[in-house]
Amino acid sequence: MPPKDTAEKSMLQKVLIDLWNFMSFENAWMLLPCCFAFFAFVLLVVYFARIPIGYNIRNLTVRYRTTLLTAVAFTMVIGVLTFLMGFINGLRILTQSSGNPENVIVLSQGATDEGVSNLPFENMADIAQQEGVARFNDEPLCSREVYLVLSLPIAEPKPNSPSRRLLQMRGLYDPDASAIVHGFELLPGGSWFSQAGVRPPEDPSKQAIVEVVLGEGIARGLGADRSEETRKAAKDPDSLVVGDTIQLDTRELLVTGIMKTEGTTFDSEVWAKQSVIGPLLGKTNYTTLVLKATSKESAQKLEDFFSGKDPTNAYEKSQVNAQTETNYFKALGQTNLQLLIGTIVVAAVMGFGGVMGVMNTMFAAISQRVRDIGMLRLLGFSRWRILVSFLAESLLIALLGGLVGCLIGYMFNGFRVTSIVSGGNGPGGKAVVFRVLVDWGVIGIGLSLSMMMGLIGGLIPALSAMRFKPLESLRG
Amino acid sequence: MTDQPIVRVLNVSRYFKRGTERVNVLNRLDLDVPEGQFLALMGPSGSGKTTLLNLIAGLDTPSEGEIWVGDRCVSKMNEAQLARWRNAHVGFVFQFYHLLPVLSAYENVELPLLLLPLTARKRREQVMTALELVGLKDRNSHLPSQLSGGQQQRVGIARAIVTDPTLIVADEPTGDLDAKSAHEILDLLNVLQRALNKTILMVTHDLRAARRADRIQHLDKGRLVDQPDEELYEAG
Amino acid sequence: MKFLMLILKNLRRNILRSALTSAGVMVLVFVITLIWSILGFLDTVTSEKTSNFKGIVTEKWSIPSQMPFSYADTLENGAAREDTDIKPMDSMTWQFFIGTTEKGKGFSLKTFVFAFCMEPKKLLTMMDELDSLAPSPKAELEKAVEAMEQNRQGIIIGQKRLAALEKRVGDRIKIFGVNYRDLELECEIVGTFPLGRYDNNSCINRDYLNASLDAYKASQGKPHPLANKTMNLVWVKVPDRDSFAQVSNQIDNSPMFTTPPVKIETASSGVANFLAAYKDLLTILRWALAPSIIATLAVVISNAISISVRERRKEMAVLKVLGFQPNQIMFLVLGEAILLGVVAGSISSIGTYFLVNRVMGGIPFPIAFFSSFPVLDGALWWGAAIGFATSFAGSILPALSTRSIKVVDVFSKVA
Repeated sequence: MPPKDTAEKSMLQKVLIDLWNFMSFENAWMLLPCCFAFFAFVLLVVYFARIPIGYNIRNLTVRYRTTLLTAVAFTMVIGVLTFLMGFINGLRILTQSSGNPENVIVLSQGATDEGVSNLPFENMADIAQQEGVARFNDEPLCSREVYLVLSLPIAEPKPNSPSRRLLQMRGLYDPDASAIVHGFELLPGGSWFSQAGVRPPEDPSKQAIVEVVLGEGIARGLGADRSEETRKAAKDPDSLVVGDTIQLDTRELLVTGIMKTEGTTFDSEVWAKQSVIGPLLGKTNYTTLVLKATSKESAQKLEDFFSGKDPTNAYEKSQVNAQTETNYFKALGQTNLQLLIGTIVVAAVMGFGGVMGVMNTMFAAISQRVRDIGMLRLLGFSRWRILVSFLAESLLIALLGGLVGCLIGYMFNGFRVTSIVSGGNGPGGKAVVFRVLVDWGVIGIGLSLSMMMGLIGGLIPALSAMRFKPLESLRG
Repeated sequence: MTDQPIVRVLNVSRYFKRGTERVNVLNRLDLDVPEGQFLALMGPSGSGKTTLLNLIAGLDTPSEGEIWVGDRCVSKMNEAQLARWRNAHVGFVFQFYHLLPVLSAYENVELPLLLLPLTARKRREQVMTALELVGLKDRNSHLPSQLSGGQQQRVGIARAIVTDPTLIVADEPTGDLDAKSAHEILDLLNVLQRALNKTILMVTHDLRAARRADRIQHLDKGRLVDQPDEELYEAG
Repeated sequence: MKFLMLILKNLRRNILRSALTSAGVMVLVFVITLIWSILGFLDTVTSEKTSNFKGIVTEKWSIPSQMPFSYADTLENGAAREDTDIKPMDSMTWQFFIGTTEKGKGFSLKTFVFAFCMEPKKLLTMMDELDSLAPSPKAELEKAVEAMEQNRQGIIIGQKRLAALEKRVGDRIKIFGVNYRDLELECEIVGTFPLGRYDNNSCINRDYLNASLDAYKASQGKPHPLANKTMNLVWVKVPDRDSFAQVSNQIDNSPMFTTPPVKIETASSGVANFLAAYKDLLTILRWALAPSIIATLAVVISNAISISVRERRKEMAVLKVLGFQPNQIMFLVLGEAILLGVVAGSISSIGTYFLVNRVMGGIPFPIAFFSSFPVLDGALWWGAAIGFATSFAGSILPALSTRSIKVVDVFSKVA
């Protein structure tokens, strides 16, 4: 079923996207100093108001089991959330760094995804000739591509795992030009496929061998699909390397190079000569045209020109959907938004559980100390001092639990995971490999969530402690 | 009252370890309590009177010696046996009443009966009898927090007698009460002793309370003493 | 149960704490119910059935699959050529038509239509869930199918989609093709799908789409660019694994299917292959998120119970003095925790079941080609089970600690 989204987005989505952009993980590291500053502020208040904080701390250590249990609840909640946010953050970085701001990606009108794009042959040359497109050897610098997703049977399927894998193939018209446009280098020992895209087989009765270049991610993925024995015998047990082959029906694909694509969506792609794989797979026209602009600004101008933003200066020969790569990949972040919404729901629910936990603890702590509070009040400690002292107690638990939680989340930093990015709901979209990224921004969000839980969970009990009348509490 | 002792404490010692040091709380102590007697145990703090009470009531076991209550050797029973024995044969009255705050007077009194194989109707009969005896029949649905200290202690006494125990053990039963309430509680204990022929052991600091008993036994440094130093009590 | 009253009274003692703890249990059980429902549903659709196999025929290599409609008859017969060959018990063809109700404006949630073009009567026999409806929704769907058979231009639309389009049964709509450019369909809404899986889908008679494509050729003088690529999927139903293998063999060996070549796979393995890309995400849900929520739950309960045990040590000593055995007191504590966990857990998961299935019409979680998921029947007991397990795990240590309460403590002079 195709994407059922949507150029228009609901209000809620718009608000979330704005929030997302504003609160993107890049700015979120600022939360970290904010957290510590807030805590330091509380400590300062405690110090200057001469609140007997030692009394609170002693209480925490005397009831160390409850303190620990509460902190552990915080640790688990924050640990999980840090990990989830690290996942989203990794995906975000991936879509962000995949795009080159100087590249303009041209698809057919109405196509949000390369998979459904269909570019008419006759217009491609003209589109590439527009002003603002960089030139190379007196030709416009562009990459003509066909993007195909195929369902490749796994030669040696393992029990209880899928028998096929989705393979994303990109057929290029001119590998040299495409290499410049996308700017990928090959790992040492590899070479781009030839202009012919095939090489003669050793056995002349067989069909010509198709040359392909792999992204690092898919090389690893295909490498892992092999059986134990094959992997042991292979040159590299974990990944396909130059010289390895892939069987595609009756044709043999030979790996001539591995691209340094880690951290981009191209990481999961197999590149070959368009004139070879297009006919082979029944798709003879192009899906994608990537233009290299002379600068960022001209790239943006090209986008505006092709998409007809300014009716007086618009491309009229054909209708196409053109976007700078940066914008294109930003739109693929739609998946991020879905995951983000999911994570917010989970965060809210788990946070609620944590708040219940800390409230129980603090209410119990306070009810145990009714007499103490009455005594403090009699000695002249004002209501707000009592409030601050109990708040500091719950914040301390939150800080402790939250820090350990962030640390646990941080242990997952760099984990390699797979997911799908797409511009809409439903299938379509690109399978990608990326690393979980727990950076200062994620830790900042985790820690501030923890403090917030401590604040909310501590505030209500502390307010109730504040309201005790000194004499009545002493009578118990 | 017969002369046959219902409680026999034979050559009992009890010591605790405090670090490497051994602290003797009770020292080769002998005591007989005849059936139906109201005995007051007195002594300064640390004299071992509460420890003695604990041992007789089956809350603690002696380090040496034997304790017999009726025909049972309490000091040889294991914890589960002790729990069952206490339930059937000992009624407890505490200084701070120790009623469960979430249960009504009726339910507090019923608590020990829950462990016995009784029908709900039989339980109800016994609870109401006990509450009537302490004069709180009409307050049976009140929660402890809705009763005065004296009333709470009377509920405590009703709970102590509801299983019709052989022995009633009272630990400073008047210690937390005003003079008038204390007086009433002691009257009630006298009634229980005379009308129901209960054997009562009471620990107290209060000489006026002790004088309501048949016999006063003084302890000092883990031994029974005949001539108490009266000044000790004047001070306490 | 003489002790039940005691347990209940103890829970009532600190209503605030019981309420906070139950609230914690409820929200966490709610999330686990959702996660397990999604995972359970995906497990069901990806696990091979032993009978009533459904197979999906698609283009061998390309995604999306686009086959010529001329394949339809042969494929629906399982490419049977010899008398000994096996024919499927039932079959259907799917052609996707994606369109919008407003011309030239891209598509939005308010105008978007996604339709399977197929034989209407196959809705009742081949579609998951629609083939096993309760009598009354079934009768309604039958009526709509009948109307579609009568009127080739009839369309059945999912209830949510219909509401979003602001249309009603009986209205006529014009749908402008998005995947089929320059194709316009004029339909009359003859019915809706029952609430659930097909809330956002529609169904159009395949004859109408094919006729429209013919009309396009007649008026434009050349066939529609997609004319030869209209059939996306063919479903076949076979009785068992062996017949599936044979049908699969027949299709693989048929000379009919060369450009493009086709393949058949079981519905479950088709879905599983597709979901492989979501593997890590689902693994995280299953093995990281759900367990840590359960663990958090146990910790929250444990915290509440240990607090209440600590507050009541003296009372428990009194109970012991009165003759209660250590085990009986331990069970009082365990019982308190478990009662709370089981009741709060059940309320949450059963409530989620009815709220999500009856009111919301599924969990909105768009992944692969599923837009929403039902809460599974298992949810009716999951809450009780999670509540029991977590409260037991959370309270066993505090409960055991009551055994060490010393009876002599009760006489200590500190109130």
